[in-house]
This record gives sequence, structure tokens and C-alpha cells, in this order.
Amino acid sequence: MVGQNGAGKTTFARVAAGLVRPDAGSLDIDGRPLRLGRVAGARAAGVELVHQSFALPPSFTVAEALEFGAGGGIGLYGRRQLLRRCRERLAALDLDVDPRRRIRDLPVEAQQGVEIARALVTDAKLLILDEPTAVLPPSGIEALFERIRGLRRHGVTVILILHKIREVLAVADTVSVLRGGRLVAGPIPREGADEAGIAQMIIGGAEVASADGDDTAALVGARQVGSAGARGTREEPPPAAREAVLSLASVSTAKEPEEPALDRVSLSVAPGEIVGVAGVQGNGQRTLVKTIAGLADAVDGDIRLGGSRANRASPAQRRALGLRVIPFERNSEGLSLTSALWENWSVRELMRRPLLSLVDPAALRRQCDKSLKAWGVHYAHAAQNAGALSGGNAQKVILAREIDADARLIIAAQPARGLDIGATAFVWSALREAAGRGCGVLLISSDLDELFDISDRLVVMLSGGIAGTFAPPYDLAAVGRAMTGASA
Amino acid sequence: MTEFHEFMVAILRSGTPLVYVTMAGVIAQRAGVWHLGLEGVMIIGACATILGIVLTGSFPAAIAIACVLCVAASVLLWFVIEKLGANPIIAGLGLTGLGIGGTALAVQALFGSLAAVTAPFGVPRLGEAFGSYGALSIFVLMMPFVVWGMWVLLRRTRFGLRLAAAGEHPLAARSVGTDPGRTRLIALASGGVLCAIGGAELAAGGLTIFAQNMTAGRGFMSFAAVIFGAGHPIAAAFAAMFFSLVGVAGIRLQLLFGASIPHDVLLSLPYLATILGVWISGRMRGGAKAATEASELRDY
Repeated sequence: MVGQNGAGKTTFARVAAGLVRPDAGSLDIDGRPLRLGRVAGARAAGVELVHQSFALPPSFTVAEALEFGAGGGIGLYGRRQLLRRCRERLAALDLDVDPRRRIRDLPVEAQQGVEIARALVTDAKLLILDEPTAVLPPSGIEALFERIRGLRRHGVTVILILHKIREVLAVADTVSVLRGGRLVAGPIPREGADEAGIAQMIIGGAEVASADGDDTAALVGARQVGSAGARGTREEPPPAAREAVLSLASVSTAKEPEEPALDRVSLSVAPGEIVGVAGVQGNGQRTLVKTIAGLADAVDGDIRLGGSRANRASPAQRRALGLRVIPFERNSEGLSLTSALWENWSVRELMRRPLLSLVDPAALRRQCDKSLKAWGVHYAHAAQNAGALSGGNAQKVILAREIDADARLIIAAQPARGLDIGATAFVWSALREAAGRGCGVLLISSDLDELFDISDRLVVMLSGGIAGTFAPPYDLAAVGRAMTGASA
Repeated sequence: MTEFHEFMVAILRSGTPLVYVTMAGVIAQRAGVWHLGLEGVMIIGACATILGIVLTGSFPAAIAIACVLCVAASVLLWFVIEKLGANPIIAGLGLTGLGIGGTALAVQALFGSLAAVTAPFGVPRLGEAFGSYGALSIFVLMMPFVVWGMWVLLRRTRFGLRLAAAGEHPLAARSVGTDPGRTRLIALASGGVLCAIGGAELAAGGLTIFAQNMTAGRGFMSFAAVIFGAGHPIAAAFAAMFFSLVGVAGIRLQLLFGASIPHDVLLSLPYLATILGVWISGRMRGGAKAATEASELRDY
């Protein structure tokens, strides 16, 4: 099952699993109608769902996580009996995990394996995996597909929800396309499926006027882009003689909660350059952004912004030096959803002023209106809450605030996550335009297609350090090895 | 030796009500409710037991009334949190106010005065066979079994795992067909029964008297024991007994040093120990972050 963000893939999965009760229609499993909106009924019929962001309590041990979903009543168990049962189930799936470890301590691949094992505890006949590849490095994706082929041999029907055509064609027997909550086509047998046709069905009409051919391919993951050489759109490569807008020299930090510390990271971004940061989530990307933004202290090394040392500079001082940040979490770090649009937007003006200077709300509102209109944000009025905007529009508000004439360096952390194809293309073109004006851009993403498409250079983060630097044409296998720390 | 036995009797007598109420807090905590209404439910249990004995003249009838009222109060809390979407902490504090004020009002309405109500008898005693401990109530003897049973239920049954899942990761619970709301209802209602026993033991275990505001913060102390014990039944029970030990020791010290140390200082010992205990357990588990994370996970 493929489709872009917001096409209704997750809703489809939740309806099938009984988590969402549909307003109309019926659902048959093995020719027998299912009571709608009841998880217990769906599970009894053999339907199991593995969520996109896994649904296992982080404090549970692996054994407990497998047990809590098993059927039956009160279910008294002994410790040893539980471990034995758990080992049998893990062995049946070829999973090598210690049943006594806690879920929160496991790497994502193992968590996903445990969640699949959890789903199979009740002998599921139909397993739905919601975007299982989004969290995995390339090697993990291949291992997952191998596991899925194994399940198919055992007679389990698997519905894979993906948004990359390449992955679908690698593993699926048939493909169905969802767009805007409707089934556009399918099931199409794999033999009869062609990439271009499916890509067109996923995107629909002329929604992506601004995107060029490579962008379209990257957006739907049809094929790996970036291998055809560097993008020729920019006039000249940024001259190395010009001073870097950002340079980190051997920067280390203290440990952040749930993120590794930076470990002697050296990195520089030249004016007009887009540097991509790849890596499996949780390898220090958040710490990197916090350190550059001034929200985490560097205990060692040098941070330079536009040539001046900024180790001790406050976020406001860094902003004055031209630093702009598009943070990871749009709804909690990027915007205050319960504040008005103009209040959100005016932060950029207020940060420049002393604490006690007077503000003129009417003037700010006018400026905000002008800026949001220029960025094509769809909104009713500047006083409405930011929470009322869709993901794409909310991201545009952040772009309007962060990308101004004084920007020298833009840190874009997962700027396109959760956006539909049109909005994603808009974000990419905004970043390219900023780079074209001479801004440095540091793009952090977990989507290799995105990075390969728009980065001039790519660094890979692993356990808080830089595990490799790549230049186009990018080699997927080499980048993947750097992401997982496998030796070449 | 008798000195030691007296000390133990005092600790058990003051610690048992705390342990029962702590168990109610533990099961609520694991189901994802920060139960700050413990104080209120406990005082309803205490009041209902004494009034029940006075009015019906039968202990079983009195404890049954206490259980029904405490379960009703807990279900009310659940309804306000789950169905009306109230903040659990505010709702819990509100229930505490309701319990303290409501019991005073009930006494006033029934007896026409706010004076303490004395019952002719209390919880059945253990009796001669237990020697120095014979004066303790049967609830004291029951207490270790209840704690052990709570441990089995929460840590060794699938039901306990689902309850914990409902508290920690509601989507995970829903994905295996468990309704987190209903699970919380079960947790709070069974906590009501435990609070009723705790309240009954407080008012009718050693004494046979109900006075206004007689719980005097014991519900909050139980909540502190839940946090101190990280939501683990046995650890929380030990935490509650520790608070009781500090309290009894405070009274003993008062007898010994009453002349040289202001008695307010000694009386405040259990409360100081509570603060210290929660602080220590917080340090051991990475500060306030662990606590906020637990509540963050409730959103889905």
C-alpha cells in the first residue's frame, strides 16, 4: 500500500485493526464480516497492526512486552516460564534479543522485531506494518524484507504500508495506491507495475509544478537520485576561499537525555552550500542542532558562526550573527500552537530587542501579514492560533520567520517530515533559494532520498560523531555502511 | 523486651493504614493516574466505618458501607478525569477537599455537633493467641498478604501488564484490545476498597473514634510512599512502614527529650522524612525528568 503523507494509509491500517471505527462500510476477514471499531474482534479474526512509532511500553522487558498482548484472562505467570516462552517465540522469528532487556534500551531495529513478534503471539493471519522502513538504515530494511518473505512462506498475509515505490517493488506481490483517502488503483500485480505510472498515481495531477524530474523521483522514492552527478542548477561551486558561515572544530558536549553526546565533531558549511546530515535517528543529530543553536553547551572545541567564536553566545546573539533554526518538532519547538500566528512570527523581531523595549502589536501584525502572504501561507487572520494550521502551512510560518534577508546559516532539522508532496517540494525549493542567495544550509534528515537530492555534501552521524563525509555522486551502500558503523 | 514489642505494635498500628492506602496509590499509579485523592477517600472510609458501627451496630455492615462509599468516591474521580477530561491532579485534590469537608458535614448532620464520634467497638482484634500483639486488629495481619497479592497481580499476571501498559502507553494497550479508560476504572475502584480498609484501620483499628480531619495528611504521605517506592507494591509498602517508623520514633524521642527540643520539631519528623524520601528516590531515578516523562506518555 503506497501513498503520500496524508493519503489515509495509517487510517486504513487503524480501521482494519479496530482502533478506528469507520462511519460507514463493512470489513470482511476470510469472507466473514468483522465487528467494526473493536480491537479484540479484529485480533480474534487474526488481524495485527505494527505501528509506525512502535506501541510497546518503554519500561517493559522484552518478555513482558510479548506477554501483555497474549490472549486469555488474568494470566498468572512465573518468571522462568515467561522467559522460556519468550525465547521460543523469539527463536521462531530468528530474533536475537535478550528477553530481560527493557524496550527503551533496544535499538530501533530490535524494537521493531519485538513488536512484530508481539503481533505474532496470537498466530496472526494478517499482519499490517505501518511504514516499517522509516526508522531503519538500508541494511535493516533488507533484513526486514527478508523476515517478511519468511512470514509469507509460513502463510501470513502481510500488508506493508510504505511511501517509497522502490521498496514496494522490492518485496510486494501487489501494490495499491491511496491518494486523498481514496483507493486510486490496485491491487496491481508487481509484474505489471511501472515506476513512472505509480509515481503519477501517488502524486495525482499537477500538484508539484515546481518540482523537477529528480525531485519527483526523490519525493516518491522511485529510484535513488544523486547518482547522476551533482545538481547542475547552481552557477558556480562556492569558492573555498570565502569564510565558512559555520565551522565546528572538534566539538564535544555533555550527555543529553536520550541522545548521545557530540564526540569531537568537526564540520563546516560554506556560504551557498547545502550540507546534509544523514544518520539513523538518535545518533546525536538533536544534540548537534541544540549545540549550534545555543541550547546545549559545548564542553570542548570551537563553534564559529560567520568567523566569530560563538561557544558562549546566547541564542539571541547567535541569531544576530545570522543563525536561523527550523527545529525538529514543528508543533512543540517550532511554534507555540496556542499562540496567535503573529505572536509566533514576531519572535524574530522581539529577539533583536532589549528585554524591556516597547512593542507595537499592530505594527508586528502588519509585518507578519505581509511576510506570511509573501510565503503563500493559507490562513484566515494573523490572530488565529497556530494550532489551527495544517502541517504544511505551519511549516511555512516557520520558514517565513526563519528565512529572512539577514539569514547567513539555516539549520533545517527534518523540515519536510510529515508533509505532503506539494509542501515538501515547497520546503526544498525554499532551502535551495536561500542557498542560492548565499546562505549556508545544514539539512538534518533521516530520509536518504531527500538528502541525496538536495545536498551538495553529506556527512553521516553515528553515536555522536561524524562517521563519514560524502560528495556526489552518492553511493547508497557506502552511506548505509557509515550509518550502521559496518566496516567496508 | 516489652519495650521492643510496644515499639513494634506502635509502628504496625500507625503503619498499616498507610500501607493499605499506599496499595491503592500503587495500583492507580501503574494505571496512569496520579492519585492525589487518596486522602479524601481514606477519610471517607474512616468516617463511614465509625458512623456505620454506631448506626448499625455491626462491624461487617460498617466496613461494607465504607467500601461502597469509597468505591463511589473513586468512581466519581474516574468519571471526572476520564469522561470530563479534568486534570487528574486537580481532580484528586478536589476529591480530598470533598472527603474532608463531606465527612465533617456528615457528622454535623447526624449528630448536630462537630465533636468527635466514638464507637462502642472497632475492628476485631487478633486476640490472646498473639501475645503482645493481640491488641492489633485483623487488618494488620492481613496487610502482608494484601501487599504480596498486589505484587502478584501487578508483576506476575497478564492483567497487571495490561494495567501498566494502559498507564504507560495507552496506544499500546489499545492495540492489544485493552480499553485504558476501563482499566483505570478497575484500578481506581479496587483502590477504593483498599482506602476503605485503610481508613477503617485508622479510625477503628486501635482507637474507636472519628474526629474531623483525622487523616491529617496520611493520604498524601501514602502518595509519597508510592513515589518513593517507584510504584512497586513491596517497595512502596516498605516506604510507608518507614514513614510510620519515623513517626513513632518521633513520639518516643519526644518522651525522652521533650524538655530540650520543641515538640513541633519532633512531630514534624514523619513529614520531613517524607520529603527526604521523595527527594532521595527522585535523585536515584534521574530527578524530576522521570516524573514528567511518565505523564508525557499519557498523550497519544
